[in-house]
Amino acid sequence: MSATVSFPDVVQWAVPLFIAAILAELVWILWSGRGGRYETRDAVTSLIMGAGNVASGILLGFIAWGFFMALWAVTPLDLGTSWWVILLCFVLDDLRYYWVHRFGHRIRWVWASHVNHHSSQHYNLTTALRQTWTGTFTFMMVVRAPLILMGFHPAMVLFVGGLNLIYQFWIHTEAIGRMPRLFEAVMNTPSHHRVHHGRNARYLDANYAGVFIVWDKLFGTFVPEDDAEKPDYGLVQNLGTFNPIRVAFHEWVALFRDLLRPGLTLRQRLMYALGPPGWSHDGSRLTSAEIKRRALARETGAGNRPARMPAE
Amino acid sequence: MPLEILIALVVGGIAGIAALTHVAGLSRRRTFDAADKARTGWLREFPDDRVTSVTLLSDPHAALVEADLGAGLVWAMGADTVARRLAGARAARRGDRLILRFPDWGAPRLALRVTEAEAHAILSHLKEAP
Repeated sequence: MSATVSFPDVVQWAVPLFIAAILAELVWILWSGRGGRYETRDAVTSLIMGAGNVASGILLGFIAWGFFMALWAVTPLDLGTSWWVILLCFVLDDLRYYWVHRFGHRIRWVWASHVNHHSSQHYNLTTALRQTWTGTFTFMMVVRAPLILMGFHPAMVLFVGGLNLIYQFWIHTEAIGRMPRLFEAVMNTPSHHRVHHGRNARYLDANYAGVFIVWDKLFGTFVPEDDAEKPDYGLVQNLGTFNPIRVAFHEWVALFRDLLRPGLTLRQRLMYALGPPGWSHDGSRLTSAEIKRRALARETGAGNRPARMPAE
Repeated sequence: MPLEILIALVVGGIAGIAALTHVAGLSRRRTFDAADKARTGWLREFPDDRVTSVTLLSDPHAALVEADLGAGLVWAMGADTVARRLAGARAARRGDRLILRFPDWGAPRLALRVTEAEAHAILSHLKEAP
């Protein structure tokens, strides 16, 4: 297998575009008085998280790259680098992204890494750059293994993954309402992704798509934006700090504190790591399913209120 | 892209955007000048609660909320809000400031300028917490 194939690091080359687009969005909001909100510390935290994500890629990228090249060495398949192979790789990698993203919301070990992307109470182009520093430790690189074993070169797989991330940058905005109907039907858009960032009960665990919203429609996780219910951005329990270190690691700290609690069974420890966010051995916390059930009960007036919350 | 250019772009970009937002007045913190604002902030985090009383503090960026499922504080997180119950928190008085430490790595500390009466009200809930 040839290992000399190379593709540009498109995410790094897109940095000037990111900065220019953020400035344009900010000027538009200041000038027009609509299209979203900015707050200094929130924006700076998001940008530092983005810079840290690039730095962690430079420092830890060799781990995923080594894994991919090991797979490339054993696969007998090589699809080459023609344009249709790159296109097919892009589409299949987007399917890969959908599942990694879904795991990122449904498995606490992966959520511990992804949570920081949802930790802003704002939704603007800086939020797009609020990316993880700890993605390597989720081991989600294994989800890319099938692509490489099918004969897509690792450099190509990372290249299309970069294009996927760049596509997702522009959808983190309130400055765009809805795109034309056909576009909204097939592609991920600002409207669809606003739903994904909403902490409203009805918007939790929805719209995991990267580029093509069709995956959500296919796998039953699509929720359209309801004009009557504006997304409330952030986490179910919002952070009380702008410190990037705490933003990056707070859920890992909470996870390991739970894992190391005395008196738990092995199954309970595994559930704290691999169960859904909000799972607890004594039922003192709420998963997204329970949050939705209670929200529905409040809306319909069917009272089902918890007893006094136990202390941590 | 050469690393030195990437670093210059990132540092310059962050500094420029920070300066622009600050000059444009986007660094202002939320204030709780009415009980309804504090109640709304609390119910964002604890929608199952029934709020029984709201005490606006002399520090306009925070309020004490009493609810049937437990009392706590709601405070400004930049232009937005965050809330935590007082259960499990520790407090220390430093001059006219009350320093609260929550058992939460994502919301570790809150410093409030409060009067003696306000500090007493907050501390009394710490003692009541289970």
